[in-house]
Amino acid sequence: MIKRTIPLTALKAGETATIVSIDAFFGKGCGKRWGFEKRLMDMGLTPGTKVTVVKSAPFHGPIEILVRGSRLVLGRGVAERVLVEVEE
Amino acid sequence: MMVEKRLRIALAGNTNVGKSVIFNYLTGLHQHIGNWPGKTVEKAEGTLHFKGYTIDVIDLPGIYSLSTYSIEEQISREYIVVEKPDVVINVVDASVLERNLYFTLQLMELGVPLVLALNQVDIAKRKGIEIDVEKLEKLLGIPVVPTVAIKGMGISKLLERVIGVAERKETPKTVIKFGKEVEDGIARLVKMLEGGHHRYPPRYVAIRLLEGDEELEKEMERLNPEVVATAKKISRELEELHGHSCSTVIMAERYEIAGRIAREVQKLVPPIKPRFEECLHNLTTHKIVGYVIMVLSLLAIFYSVFTIGGHISEFLNELFYGTEPLFYELFGIGAIGKLVWSVMEGLIAGVTIALPYIVPFYVILYFLEDSGYLSRIAFLMDNIMHKIGLHGKAVIPLILGYGCNVPACLGCRIMETERERLLAVFVTTLVPCAARTIIILGLVGEYLGIEYALALYIFNLAIIFVLGRLAFKVLPGEPTALIMEMHDYRLPHLKTVLKQTWFRLLEFIKIAFPLIILGSFTIKLIEVFGLLEPVALALSPITVTWLGLPLIAGITLIFGVLRKELMLIMLATLFGTTNFAEVPGFGPIQMIVFTIVAMFYIPCISTIAALIKEIGWKRALLITIFEIAFAIALGGIAYRILTFF
Repeated sequence: MIKRTIPLTALKAGETATIVSIDAFFGKGCGKRWGFEKRLMDMGLTPGTKVTVVKSAPFHGPIEILVRGSRLVLGRGVAERVLVEVEE
Repeated sequence: MMVEKRLRIALAGNTNVGKSVIFNYLTGLHQHIGNWPGKTVEKAEGTLHFKGYTIDVIDLPGIYSLSTYSIEEQISREYIVVEKPDVVINVVDASVLERNLYFTLQLMELGVPLVLALNQVDIAKRKGIEIDVEKLEKLLGIPVVPTVAIKGMGISKLLERVIGVAERKETPKTVIKFGKEVEDGIARLVKMLEGGHHRYPPRYVAIRLLEGDEELEKEMERLNPEVVATAKKISRELEELHGHSCSTVIMAERYEIAGRIAREVQKLVPPIKPRFEECLHNLTTHKIVGYVIMVLSLLAIFYSVFTIGGHISEFLNELFYGTEPLFYELFGIGAIGKLVWSVMEGLIAGVTIALPYIVPFYVILYFLEDSGYLSRIAFLMDNIMHKIGLHGKAVIPLILGYGCNVPACLGCRIMETERERLLAVFVTTLVPCAARTIIILGLVGEYLGIEYALALYIFNLAIIFVLGRLAFKVLPGEPTALIMEMHDYRLPHLKTVLKQTWFRLLEFIKIAFPLIILGSFTIKLIEVFGLLEPVALALSPITVTWLGLPLIAGITLIFGVLRKELMLIMLATLFGTTNFAEVPGFGPIQMIVFTIVAMFYIPCISTIAALIKEIGWKRALLITIFEIAFAIALGGIAYRILTFF
């Protein structure tokens, strides 16, 4: 069994994965973080949580996910920074 | 003499859990809607009488956490800590218990007297979730009352428990424990904090410092810098131990606790299948069908707001203008009569322009929001709206702006952060409303051809795009990130929707009417004293030299502030003809320039009032001044380019 870490946006509709971390740094070498990291965790996207992708809106739109029994929508830019682990 | 027994309670909870329904049930018509001092966040207060108590209720904004990420969170925390309500009612959605309990745990950390309203137990049951209320009560150590707010179920029980808690001054009995390492850190900090008089309980301060709460850090830096330093040290230790930042560890553990409690009290029963809500959700977010439904709904909304509004507006207009002779009879046709009538005219402008559109709009907006459809639209439109730096929800005010900017601006309150609200409001005021459409079609469309009118619309869209992007770049703060819960579809509570509409309307009238009437009166004053010519002359460097318009056109630009659809009528009166093609010095170029200026130069006075309500008078003034300057600059440039060819 191989574990791979990929961004949430790389999951296909219907796939489930475990959250590893949220990459919220501005850019390389800069210690500042975006506030959305905290907000994502407040919404339940903490490391170790199972998340299922339901679907994504057309034209690279936001994605719909199921997490902790509720339905969330994440803008694509945010979802790209949520790193998840899948088992193959 | 009996001493009046008074209580203050606050409603807190996630968004869309039925908080406002409970608030409306409790307070009925005894409520007041305003803004939090100095903030653009709405504040709803009310009173009720129950068992000899007069109870003041405040509805705190819907939030997911008590950190200070958003203004709403800051406001809620400040209110609970500083104003110290006797009891906080935490309204939770029984169908999404885990997420809701995460917030409950934070309220418990604050150590406030707490009662849990377990709302929407009926929806939870339909979804196949039954909750053991007694067990939940025992695990949390606070009273739990199951409610179905839209049916009024459980509300009086809720109040009884609230009064019980208030009388005994009960704070949560249970302390929810984190993992061992975190608890050790908390214990060390609590020890250092003991004896100091902080406005927060020591345990709360300890947890928040470990979470890296910047607001609290600043505050404690002054009081007890040692604690902050120690907290930072402990955080680093915990970070090394767990491989995640300390705040992540704490949030994750808090969610684990919430999840554990939720699993312990939930009994899963077979859900009612197939659920209608589920089907509706799949259809309305479908990549093709979803857009079809959305376009149809938006058209239907637009059409109904403006036909209903239009009919009412016309009816009221005739009714009010019918009284004009009466006024002149009473006050004479001299200066006094004119001034008195101008006050009336301002009133008419307010009643006939703003109100007929605001009422249906508010009703529809609340329906969209409460039913859950608004979040689906945001899902579908997020990508497109991102191009101008807004997220999906902004499509609603933007489209409504084509009808009337006033309700559109008021509708911008659906945006979550202050920055997004500001951006949305700004972009909305640039959208040509129905009154401006009259000028575009009636002048350019009529005399130059419909293709020119269309070109102007496209030009307008391009400007909106450019200015939207610019404002997005210039405004400080984080870029828009859509993080939104899509709750299940449900039927909105009609009474709540109507009450919300009514109280928002009152609030708008209070701000807008004095402004509209004053504006009308001032302009009439200028006219009565024969100052119209001098004012027009004084403006001639701008209107004549820069914009290349006839002197008279300048006067209509002033009147346009009041109501833009009158500009054409006025132009006709001043020119002495309705055939503008005959007017010397008012050729195609002047028509285009005039229309461009009218399209951008200022949102009408009712829109300014709406701006003041939503973003405060300073920023409203700034936007107004910017738009005047921008329109004039644009008009002048257009004049030069057009005459060049």
